[in-house]
Amino acid sequence: MLSAAGRPTRPISALLGTLALVLAATGCGGAAGSGSAAGKVTSITALDYYTDASEHAQWSERLTACGRTAGVTVEHRSVPGASLVPQVLRQASSRTLPDLLMLDNPDLQRIAQTGALTPLDRYGIDSRGFAPGIVSAGSYQGRLYGLAPTVSTVALFYNKDMLAEAGVAVPRTWDELKTAAAGLTRPGRYGMAVDANATFEGAWQFLPFLWSNGGDERRLDTPQAAQALQLWVDLVKSGSMSKSVLNWTQADVHDQFAAGKAAMMVNGPWRTAALNRTPDLHWGVAPLPVRRPGQTLVTPLGGEVWTVPRNSSEDRRAKAARVLACLNDPTTMLATAKQYFTVPSRSAVASRYARQVPSMAAFVESVERSRTRTGRLGVRWPQAATGIYTAVQAALTGERTPKEALGDAQRTATDS
Amino acid sequence: MKRAPARGLLSTIVGIVLLALMLFPVYWMVNVSLQPAGDALRTGWFPLHPDLSGYVTALRDQGHSLVTSLVVALGSTVVSLGLAAPAAYALARFRLRGGPVVVFGILVTQTVPGIVVADALYGAYTDVGLLNSYLGLVLADSTAGVPFAVLLLRAAMRGIPREIIEAAHVDGAGKLRVLWSVVLPVSRNALVTAGLFTFLFAWSDFLFALTLNTTDAVRPVTVGIYQYIGSHTNRWNAVMATSVLASVPAAALLVAAQRYVSAGATSGAVR
Amino acid sequence: MRSGPRPTPDRPAAPRSDGERTDGDRGAARAHRRERIARWLFLLPATAYLLLFFALPLVKNIVMSFQQYSATTFYTGEAPFTGLRNYAKVLSSDLFWQALLTTVLFTVGSVCGQFVLGLALALFFRRRFPLGDVLRSLLLLPWLLPLVVSGTTWKWMLDTDTGVVNRALRDLHLLSSGVPWLTGTSSALVSVILVNIWVGVPFNTAILYGGLQDIPAHLYEAAKLDGAGPTASFRYVTWPLLRPVAGVVLVLGVVYTVKVLDIILVVTGGGPADATQTLSTLSYELSFQRFEFGRGAATGNVLVVLSLAFALVYLRAGRRALNV
Repeated sequence: MLSAAGRPTRPISALLGTLALVLAATGCGGAAGSGSAAGKVTSITALDYYTDASEHAQWSERLTACGRTAGVTVEHRSVPGASLVPQVLRQASSRTLPDLLMLDNPDLQRIAQTGALTPLDRYGIDSRGFAPGIVSAGSYQGRLYGLAPTVSTVALFYNKDMLAEAGVAVPRTWDELKTAAAGLTRPGRYGMAVDANATFEGAWQFLPFLWSNGGDERRLDTPQAAQALQLWVDLVKSGSMSKSVLNWTQADVHDQFAAGKAAMMVNGPWRTAALNRTPDLHWGVAPLPVRRPGQTLVTPLGGEVWTVPRNSSEDRRAKAARVLACLNDPTTMLATAKQYFTVPSRSAVASRYARQVPSMAAFVESVERSRTRTGRLGVRWPQAATGIYTAVQAALTGERTPKEALGDAQRTATDS
Repeated sequence: MKRAPARGLLSTIVGIVLLALMLFPVYWMVNVSLQPAGDALRTGWFPLHPDLSGYVTALRDQGHSLVTSLVVALGSTVVSLGLAAPAAYALARFRLRGGPVVVFGILVTQTVPGIVVADALYGAYTDVGLLNSYLGLVLADSTAGVPFAVLLLRAAMRGIPREIIEAAHVDGAGKLRVLWSVVLPVSRNALVTAGLFTFLFAWSDFLFALTLNTTDAVRPVTVGIYQYIGSHTNRWNAVMATSVLASVPAAALLVAAQRYVSAGATSGAVR
Repeated sequence: MRSGPRPTPDRPAAPRSDGERTDGDRGAARAHRRERIARWLFLLPATAYLLLFFALPLVKNIVMSFQQYSATTFYTGEAPFTGLRNYAKVLSSDLFWQALLTTVLFTVGSVCGQFVLGLALALFFRRRFPLGDVLRSLLLLPWLLPLVVSGTTWKWMLDTDTGVVNRALRDLHLLSSGVPWLTGTSSALVSVILVNIWVGVPFNTAILYGGLQDIPAHLYEAAKLDGAGPTASFRYVTWPLLRPVAGVVLVLGVVYTVKVLDIILVVTGGGPADATQTLSTLSYELSFQRFEFGRGAATGNVLVVLSLAFALVYLRAGRRALNV
């Protein structure tokens, strides 16, 4: 049955293949023919997830500038964040990977595991001077596959006017957070907002609470993890946080905050430019609260790494590597950081940056202590992340107690 | 007799109220689409100060998707009718030994979940390079149109008086000729209905557009809307403006071709 | 559709063998065969298409469900056969059984709601009144809109904090806080069912209205003469005569609802906490989000079996549907 059934794919493939040829001949197919004569490479392709119009334009500009130093033009394409990894896997299967590829840092190891990436030492690129966190996220089995020009993490954003009006101080502990959020809640406005949706983004926002309380992604069914989840449950139950957090993305959280419908939120510094553009919004940023005073805040390390995928042409890879090196050189890195309010990933550049942009000093400091998501679990991180966001959803909807939800999560995470 | 008109009028009023309730979401979509950007979080009941910025954004971001949808839907209509018309003719008028089996098969296709087809097509399309192509999407989208059109046209063609067809044969016309110059013109109404619905099926398709595209190269408006939601809530006016634009074909066809739409809806319609 | 002329397939036109036997039977047989081939050629393109896009995917899905796919597969092209492992994994997960239950609840809820409301509207529109026909055809709009559009609009309307539904309920003082339409586990399921009912009512109304029109008026007059009130005439005239059409509508409803994906994906994305995850969305998530095509295919096959269980009923009713 199996062998017989396996065969019919060939006629379908043959027929569809013919159609594809016809299509290609008539010029309807989206064949990625990037102009390079046999010898000299004049252009390379780059793929990332910066779909936002202005961000895309800024990155195009940067890639063009770096391409110039390598003597190539860069064809820059962006796909939505959620479809980047599926897209890369598809391209890997059809051997049509771009020459230069951006990945969110926790995705690097699993893509490297498929064999789709090339190690950077081959091109004489090393990680000297880079902060250790991002180097570990960019490495797989001891070899460096990707480098991020800048890194970031999450923090507590608050509306200064609302805090002043309610007479509430910036919370530093979970109890203070609960009290502050309750005191800031009004009809049509919530005290606090987070992204608790069923995606990796939801897991990313929960990590600072989990980690700072001594929780561990390798072992989710612990009292420490349950306490962290209980905090979110309490915030929703008391009405200080909308139940809609279950559906919000980080962008939605930002929009709620910007529209004055949330007094505090968890978000990243890359929102700074947009928040500054919002009229009549006076906002501040602070470290996320911890459960009890004296606990060390541990936040997840964010940042996108650039990689050189495995494709046939040695020359193209070499050019791509030169562009990658340019993106990660101190000057470009500093400019990028200033543009998006992120933190340069070379330690020396970061400290210079902290002096030049004092408002970012706090972020520079917290990024240094940030932990990578793949640091402990490596390629098994996605399963743990799935367990985490599923537990958050189950607990916030009231389907499970935090303890039960995390028990399920542990099972999800260890179930290969 | 004063009672009857009064009762009729009362029914009309009730009917209007019922229709208003049923169409409220459509009204709301239009209302939100006319709000200024960023204000969608506190939408008024009426668009007192209509603002077209949502449409400007929608056309800028999704204009290309609308064109893609149009191309794909037209392509699927052509493919569906092209495949279905001869088949329907054969099933309706030829005594084919396998005919009933084919009809049976077409009915069975209606129970096949789209996700199962998509699962398998993804692999097949990857192998032959039809992912992210117009042709691939047109062919996949026609999975709704072909069975529907065959069944609808077959029913219509069975109703054609035998004499008409026999007369044409006596005049020496071949089968293809008869189909083209006699059967199809006589079945015009059914053809329009079938074409209209296959167009709407493809225009509305979401599943195949979502699964068989991994880039934005061939992105119909349904996927455009899906990518819009969940990205930024303060652009809800643009999301709703895109939705309004995506609803235009359905609304236009309902008004302009009401007769055919009703015929399609009541033909044991496939959806 | 009114019952038109009964089907009258043409008599075979070409091999009029009556007076042409002189060439011998061989020539006639060849002509006959050519004729038969010519006829099949009309059917060939559509049949080939249906085989390629329905039969093969079904077969391929069965094969895939016995293979192990992972992210690596798409690079190496290797998907080793693993026997029943995918099925074991799928069937042993709580989520699968929850999704199965959700699928059943979603289908039953949607189909019942659509039918009852559809019938009520059909009965209402049967009275003749000014603008009746226009109103009735405008009613089709929700059914014609792309599901993504309907889903998006409802998602926005049902938002707990800013949605118009909760606002209307608050303004009418029906409740003080908001109903968590999309954020509570059971209310989210109710919400997607309501949205799906909204989408399906026009279709039900249209077909049932057609069925009502086919009931001869004199039967009602006779019932009236016998002193039957509206209830009695519905019970003894309308319902018995409408039953065949009702059967078609219900079975079609089940067959189409069981595989619904768009609405759920757009309105709730299967959440919160997987409360609106059906077999369709689960299969989508496994295949296209987690790249576990083997398990996605296995889940899809369960859905196929479920659909086919209804198919027998459907085919009986479907034959009637074609001739209505």
